[in-house]
Amino acid sequence: MSRNLVELVRRTHARGAPTALEVLKRALEDHGEITDDDRREAARLSGLPEAAVYGVSTFYDDLRFPRGARHVRVCTGTACFAATGDAHVRELRDGFGLELGERTEDRSRSLSETVCLGFCHSSPAVRDGDVIDAGEGVVERVLAGAAQAAPEPEWRSMLERPVLTEPSDWSGLRAALASRSPESLLEEVQAARVRGRGGAGFPAGEKWSFARAAPGEQKFIVANGDEGDPGSYIDKYLMERNPALVLEGMTLAGYAVGADHGFVLTRSEYPLSKPALEAAADRARTQGLLGEDVAGSGFAFDVTILEGTGSYVVGEETALIACIEGLRGTVSARPPYPAARGLYGMPTVVHNVETLANIPFIARAGAAAYGQLSPGATSGSKLVCFNERFARPGVYEVSFGGTVRELCDEVAGGIAGGGQLKALQIGGPLGGVLPASLLDTRFDFSELAAVGCMVGHGGIVGFDEQTDMRELTLHLLHFGASESCGKCFPCRIGLRRAHEMFADGRAVERARLEQLLEALEVASLCAHGSGMPAPIRSLLAHFPDELGLA
Amino acid sequence: MRVAVDGTSIELADGTTVLQALRAAGADVPTLCFDERQEPFGACRVCLVGVAGAPGPLPACTTPCREGMAIDTHDETSRRVATAIVELVLSELPVAPAPHTELARVAASLGVSEPRWRGMTHAVDHDQRHPYLAFQRELCISCGRCVRACDETQGAFALTATGRGFDANVTAGLDAGFRDSSCVSCGACADTCPTDAITENTLLEL
Ligand SMILES: Cc1cc2nc3c(=O)[nH]c(=O)nc-3n(C[C@H](O)[C@H](O)[C@H](O)COP(=O)(O)O)c2cc1C
Ligand code: SF4
Ligand code: SF4
Ligand code: FES
Ligand code: FES
Repeated sequence: MSRNLVELVRRTHARGAPTALEVLKRALEDHGEITDDDRREAARLSGLPEAAVYGVSTFYDDLRFPRGARHVRVCTGTACFAATGDAHVRELRDGFGLELGERTEDRSRSLSETVCLGFCHSSPAVRDGDVIDAGEGVVERVLAGAAQAAPEPEWRSMLERPVLTEPSDWSGLRAALASRSPESLLEEVQAARVRGRGGAGFPAGEKWSFARAAPGEQKFIVANGDEGDPGSYIDKYLMERNPALVLEGMTLAGYAVGADHGFVLTRSEYPLSKPALEAAADRARTQGLLGEDVAGSGFAFDVTILEGTGSYVVGEETALIACIEGLRGTVSARPPYPAARGLYGMPTVVHNVETLANIPFIARAGAAAYGQLSPGATSGSKLVCFNERFARPGVYEVSFGGTVRELCDEVAGGIAGGGQLKALQIGGPLGGVLPASLLDTRFDFSELAAVGCMVGHGGIVGFDEQTDMRELTLHLLHFGASESCGKCFPCRIGLRRAHEMFADGRAVERARLEQLLEALEVASLCAHGSGMPAPIRSLLAHFPDELGLA
Repeated sequence: MRVAVDGTSIELADGTTVLQALRAAGADVPTLCFDERQEPFGACRVCLVGVAGAPGPLPACTTPCREGMAIDTHDETSRRVATAIVELVLSELPVAPAPHTELARVAASLGVSEPRWRGMTHAVDHDQRHPYLAFQRELCISCGRCVRACDETQGAFALTATGRGFDANVTAGLDAGFRDSSCVSCGACADTCPTDAITENTLLEL
């Protein structure tokens, strides 16, 4: 990202002015579209050049399409695809007589797509204004103007004593502040071998020690609540049902690395997340657990909760930082890593919200107890969630190391209505597809990697016999191409070409497709471009006869 | 710090990038988004090289050298993938780039003519409202060099990247042409553009 622009936004932040993105979002909420006057106003308030503001206003999904008085968003995520094969999208389009991204001339109505509303337990999902409706009959209700709020997902821990599904009482933070130095907390987290839960599995302790050692007048903790993986509603659960646990983890991270402020970026697709986190932060401030003097220890830490604007790739850490700064959410080359040069150019620890939710237990019970949560496997417990195809979809806290079959059958109750499971996509859109024949694979990092899959963020989307694998390929490539941030050439052009190869309905030349996948894997700047080939490779390996190959 | 480039050992200052190192050693790889007057950007990915011990090719322009690094500019995977990327770039343009452009020269150096993948190209859209600067939007490959020239070299901040994914492009000001922007007509953008998407008008008329 341009150092000059980052310096400009740092000054804006220092004087407490809004970012350009915040001003643009407000304008959209106010009058349903972004005008040049809004852009000029955003430039004036944020101190960004007009051109840069224009760039921001054309990047984010939420800003790109005009809204009518009644704005309907239909989910095109993978769980909803698994439920209907996208029939719900076609029915709404036809029913409203609008294309996706279109508004009626009298501005009374608009329709757009949204990628995962976090109601994958009850797909298909549609958001009508502020109401999220989902499940059987949703299209008819929305078309009749009678949308009703769908039940929120349930959660359950399969552990003897829940860790991530237990409400925070801030005892981990109190224990650490009372009895540990920041160095000793950092050592405990290193000893606990916490692996990042946002997808890459990077050791948290290592990241903390880089950030702690990095010079900087201020340091930040960023909680990544962008949970863009279609089919995943784990972070939604944490942010909305257990927000204090995330804030407690952030405060502990701040204490260990020497940061005095944290930011949480939630998704605009989850309208309840920001208010829930803000209410939890307010409660913590009243109890003296956030603020100038945390729990009477002299340590100062506070948080700011922000909401995203519709972009999958903004979940990537450098893009996430750019989004918080109110800039275009494109990826930047690393190094410099955020731990050295992150938010506003300062050392920053970026963690997935679930990773942060692991920290209070470690602070309270220690690294050894944390290791025991999954004996003989990756340390700690993991939240997973299942889509509507399963009999008991929901968020579950499980140990690492069980088989995928146990998760699907014993935890989630198998495919609903006695249907047959055909394949699973685990860990988000960049995760490989596991055919039913490989269900005995263990649920852990290296075991899943060995079969071309990943733990990723832990969302599990099951496909039953109805799913057409060529349609699934097209669905995934549509997602890949439309979410590409456009920064690097292989992903920007390559995902488009891959999508086109399947979209024209003709036989796909396998060799030419594989050469394209290689370019994406080898050369992409971030894991969006390098990871999108993974599910396509699995589909080629396990379902070649269904893909229409030449 | 010492590194080896294609087997030749050279001494370098700390903070040197792999691209600087291999050029210092008299070797080279093609680049599209790099301009030595600007911060490296890491967008085009055609500068890939092999590095001993790395899991795969690395972009030379944004990778810092480490003591003892062994860099291979002839690495087969790197060259094969760079070729594929240049084919992809050619496939997004509605016309072949003019022979004198940097893009055409890079394509020629890799022996690329006909892309293996064809599909949607950028819509022809010419902005001639400025007296000296012409913009042919369909020739833009989103390398970001003009935006960085305007920001880092000129400090005019008249340009920005726009859109995302395949629809990414660049524009001046609020997209009402260079004239209605903070453009100071310095021509730094036209000077660095590798495709002639932005040119000085005099050149276009020739
Ligand atoms: C395209 C892309 C999307 C990502 N989306 C998310 C996301 O939604 N949430 C998340 O926590 N990490 C996401 N990540 C990973 C982040 O870059 C980063 O690794 C992570 O937030 C670090 O936290 P952790 O170490 O706690 O996992 C994404 C990465 C990429 C490349
Ligand atoms: S891989 Fe795709 S999403 Fe990632 S930087 Fe490149 S263009 Fe952006
Ligand atoms: S106009 Fe030229 S320099 Fe600017 S991004 Fe496009 S191709 Fe690059
Ligand atoms: S709600 Fe549709 S995929 Fe999650
Ligand atoms: S020159 Fe290195 S990525 Fe473009």
